[in-house]
Amino acid sequence: MRRRDLLATAGAALGAGAVAGYGTAAGTGLPAGAAATADALGRRVAVEGVHQAGVLTPRPRQALFAAFDAIAPSRAELAEALRALSERARRLTAEHVALLGAPGEGPTPDTGVLGPRVPPDALTVTIGLGASLFDGRYGLTGRRPAGLKAMPAFPDDQLVGAETHGDLLVQLCAGTQETLLNALRDLMRATRGSLAVRWKIEGFLPAEREPGAGRNLLGFKDGTANPSTADAALMDRLLWTRGRGTFAAVRIIRNRVEFWDRVARSEQELMIGRDKATGAKLAALPADAHIRLARPRTHGTQGQRILRRGYNYSRGIDEAGQLDMGLVFVAFCRSLEHQFEPIQRRLAGEGLADYVKPTGGGYFYLPPGARGGDDWVGSALLS
Amino acid sequence: MLRRVLAAGVLTAALAGCGGRVASPPPPQAFSARTPLSDRSGRVTAAAFARPIAAYRRHVRRALTAMLGELARLRAAAGDGDLPAARAAWLRADARYEAIGAAYGAFGDLDSAINATPGATGRLVGLHRVELALFGRRSTRDAQAPAARLSRDVRRLRDRAGRVTIEPLDYALRAHEVLEDALHLQLSGQASPWSSSALNALTANVAGTRVVLRTLSPMIRQRDPLVLAEAERSLTRLERSVTPVRRARWDRLSQRRREAIAGAAAAAAERLAYVPELIDPRPPLPLKRAVTG
Repeated sequence: MRRRDLLATAGAALGAGAVAGYGTAAGTGLPAGAAATADALGRRVAVEGVHQAGVLTPRPRQALFAAFDAIAPSRAELAEALRALSERARRLTAEHVALLGAPGEGPTPDTGVLGPRVPPDALTVTIGLGASLFDGRYGLTGRRPAGLKAMPAFPDDQLVGAETHGDLLVQLCAGTQETLLNALRDLMRATRGSLAVRWKIEGFLPAEREPGAGRNLLGFKDGTANPSTADAALMDRLLWTRGRGTFAAVRIIRNRVEFWDRVARSEQELMIGRDKATGAKLAALPADAHIRLARPRTHGTQGQRILRRGYNYSRGIDEAGQLDMGLVFVAFCRSLEHQFEPIQRRLAGEGLADYVKPTGGGYFYLPPGARGGDDWVGSALLS
Repeated sequence: MLRRVLAAGVLTAALAGCGGRVASPPPPQAFSARTPLSDRSGRVTAAAFARPIAAYRRHVRRALTAMLGELARLRAAAGDGDLPAARAAWLRADARYEAIGAAYGAFGDLDSAINATPGATGRLVGLHRVELALFGRRSTRDAQAPAARLSRDVRRLRDRAGRVTIEPLDYALRAHEVLEDALHLQLSGQASPWSSSALNALTANVAGTRVVLRTLSPMIRQRDPLVLAEAERSLTRLERSVTPVRRARWDRLSQRRREAIAGAAAAAAERLAYVPELIDPRPPLPLKRAVTG
């Protein structure tokens, strides 16, 4: 079976709605949904590069964030786990044949979730390191990247220990959820004795149902003012450290959606600073509107800009029967202290704070990308 | 890939040369880089399991006899209204039963009479009914009738223990399934909700798994000494993480401590899962590992 046929078949099986928004089917002669799905499944995001993928690369529709704590008995085994992550990521992000394996290679070589021939599906594996990895356990104290620290609790935070911090972050992005779950199971299996999962959250992007930015679960257009990822000089100024890494601030921000839905639209718009229908900035923008506090557009705050790459999330209910949904806020920047934190401080006490509750996440340093061959993400810090 | 397979082969030869005993632990290996089976290993027959299973049956009988002693002490303490002594005896009795997990499937209804999980259908009886009395209701009086019934059931099982049938394939699978149960029922907090004694049970689960592995070790070593060495090493690591805290309540440990213990248990299950594949007593299946089309 040729690859194109395979992908088209897989697309048809997955159903038309799965990756709406991924290009068009014009002229392919295939049902629109199937062709769009096949195109998306065939998209590959390479692991190798100066920088890690998953920062500048466009967001695929689905994402999964898993934080791990190191339980490896030794530094060598920790390094081996990091190496295994990159090795498995190389295989998982390329089209490959699964379910093969000789006797003696273990009970089951692959999950099988994606069938015997696995398309790349834009799978992106991004690895970050938390400050706690550089405590005394593995003799890495002297190697902590400058500027990496534990995420502090900001004034409006209600952080839950079980979903905050972590020695290591794996950000997975892909066109479909099952690609993420296959990758997660594969990576966890390959590092079973060395990395214990601490928390996990899955996110999704809204379908492209209107022009411009997608909407968050408060019903407002979000992420309209990101710096241009095509501007390399700007990215060098705002994102990349001298070591070609970057910092990630991940924040699980629960939205109190039932409460929010009981607030007048006009009140909501004043708190956010946008028209709810069009997303246009309000003509009379209140001084304490969220978007003005987040980005005042003054000369002094230009250098504080961050690259946001978040996903909506939804996951069950709390003990009061309230829906647990919101935003996995992800921002990349060169300096957490000089970019992300000043923004957070400006947001302290904003009107919106009653409706959005940060409950978890953490700060992570993303080392530069693997250089190909046998190199692995984190090799310079751990080997 | 080829390089690492070869390295594993060399290591296997080295281990075989010293009778399968490892002086230093083997280096960690990706699960995809396993030692190929050697041609001389030959097929495992069901008959080869006769001695290992007979040895395990003796272990079961000894454990149940010891458990009866603990239950007698539990009932005496409960009769005296001595809650701490009754609780201590319960933990020892529970551990005895958790050490024979590889035979649960062979016990039939008596297993559920002794060890039904709270939340399962039907009226709660057995070990965890007594746990509810002693740890949940803090009542020695409430424990007396269920403990008496439990003693009777354990005695019946002990008297049958020499005759229970354990299938060879089941026995090979129990190499990792006892720990799978521990991960699913104990470390989730489901099995012992009132005493939160998952670590007491897990310690016993590891000891029981050791017995299974020991009885199977000649068979495993002959086919792939690295599988045995890695399995034993993973169990040692798990013991080291659990033993110091085995009397602690699981729900009181810090998140990192729990991660380290659950992670070591999962890593051991991963290693032990190589065992049944290696010594599968069924006739070999035709290989279906090519992608066609």
